[in-house]
Amino acid sequence: MSQSSLKNKSPFQPLDRAVVAGMMQSRFGIPLEAFESVSFYRRGRNVWAFSLPEIPDFSCESVGLRFMSVRGRVPKPTTSALQLFGRYATKNVVDLSSDQAEKFVAGVRQSISIPVEDGYVVVTLGGEVIGCGQYLDGELISQLPKERWIGIDGACDGSSGGGRR
Amino acid sequence: MEGSGVEEPTAWKFPSPGRLRIYPINANSRRMKGLERYRNIVPDFEGMMDAIVLPLPVTARINTLKTDRDRLLLRLRKAEVSHRPFTWYPFGLRLEVEKPGNLIENLMGLIHVQEEISMASPVVLDPKPGERVLDLCAAPGSKTTQMAMMMENRGLLAANDPANTRVASLRSNCERAGALNVVVTRYDGRRFPAREFDRVLVDAPCTGQGMARKDIKVLDRWSLRRSLGLQRLQRALLKRAADLVKPGGTLVYSTCTFAPEENEAVVSWVLDQVPGIVLDDAWIGGLEGSPGLEEWEGSKFGEEMQRCVRYYPHQNDAGGFFVAKLIKE
Repeated sequence: MSQSSLKNKSPFQPLDRAVVAGMMQSRFGIPLEAFESVSFYRRGRNVWAFSLPEIPDFSCESVGLRFMSVRGRVPKPTTSALQLFGRYATKNVVDLSSDQAEKFVAGVRQSISIPVEDGYVVVTLGGEVIGCGQYLDGELISQLPKERWIGIDGACDGSSGGGRR
Repeated sequence: MEGSGVEEPTAWKFPSPGRLRIYPINANSRRMKGLERYRNIVPDFEGMMDAIVLPLPVTARINTLKTDRDRLLLRLRKAEVSHRPFTWYPFGLRLEVEKPGNLIENLMGLIHVQEEISMASPVVLDPKPGERVLDLCAAPGSKTTQMAMMMENRGLLAANDPANTRVASLRSNCERAGALNVVVTRYDGRRFPAREFDRVLVDAPCTGQGMARKDIKVLDRWSLRRSLGLQRLQRALLKRAADLVKPGGTLVYSTCTFAPEENEAVVSWVLDQVPGIVLDDAWIGGLEGSPGLEEWEGSKFGEEMQRCVRYYPHQNDAGGFFVAKLIKE
């Protein structure tokens, strides 16, 4: 291990903002200015978004928000990232009806005919972002983290526990 | 106050038969142990005993990192979710639902389910956008995410908690809230590395008597020995926080217990130990509370303790809490 890698103990490597913001712009039409005060870092196969241009000089478990995964062929934005920045999206946005949203948050795959490109989409309900979905061959697949799913029966009214399909 | 004549559990008396009818829970258990000692300091002690057996109202905070207040209130009205905003804090809501975790607004991160009284200490700390802030005992992160929102996702908010198990919930709550300015650290708070912060919150580990409405068993677990054991930790945490805050900076110490050993005794010890630390008013308009104790069981804490605030469960139909605000000159 070289001297410099010993000195640089932070596992977070800075990324060019323009590159990450550019990905969000080309896929979702989110203007670059939305990320003006955000710095991006890479750790492993994830990109993190943080408020400051420098990582603090003490040992951190996590820095800011897990923003996208670059594991697959196409970068996949996290639901948390879209909940913050998806409101600025101008394309590849899928606005659901209440019934469709109920299925989406329960993790149920559904057929929907919408004019979006195949790939990751911003899924909204009443203009506010639910999270990340994947649109593939006319089907919308929920990309919400499983632990955040709400079972069909429990959605929206809180009247019963999460009966899941 | 060590060694003072605090009543031991064995001296606890069963309530008279008349009382049994009024407070059936007393009849079945000795769960009210550790509360009788507060009879003379709690205003309307019987009112508190009535309140403490009732479940807590369901409350949540509007997450302004993802929405704004008007938009969220409109959304809840449309979805026919009954709600009532707090009178003292515009971003707090009481919800008439059994399982707020099942609301889609919770999944979307537009609201964060949080106990009403716990919103008080970030309000007193009042962190500003762009500042460097430390939350020394952060998990599970309700107050952390409240502060991130007060800071408008700018500056630095270090959220520290030594316990591996609790860090998972801290991290997931920060993610759900959309906090961009939070770094999670896992230091022993007593040895957090020497860095300067504008504001530090010490929401210390405590015996949790104020959480009895959430879990009545906390009262079973209370003993004076536990309070005094935690006091050592609390003193060390608050002292470290006092070292870390920069001159002119603000420090807030809070617990969710009634034990003066863990509250005024800790604050008064740090005021004695650390030069240049003074008390400021921790009072919040519109929230009913009681002044901190000037003395307890023979220990004198001083008149200035009235600047600290005690919250009892019957005062705001919420949990119990203690908040002190300190300034470094």
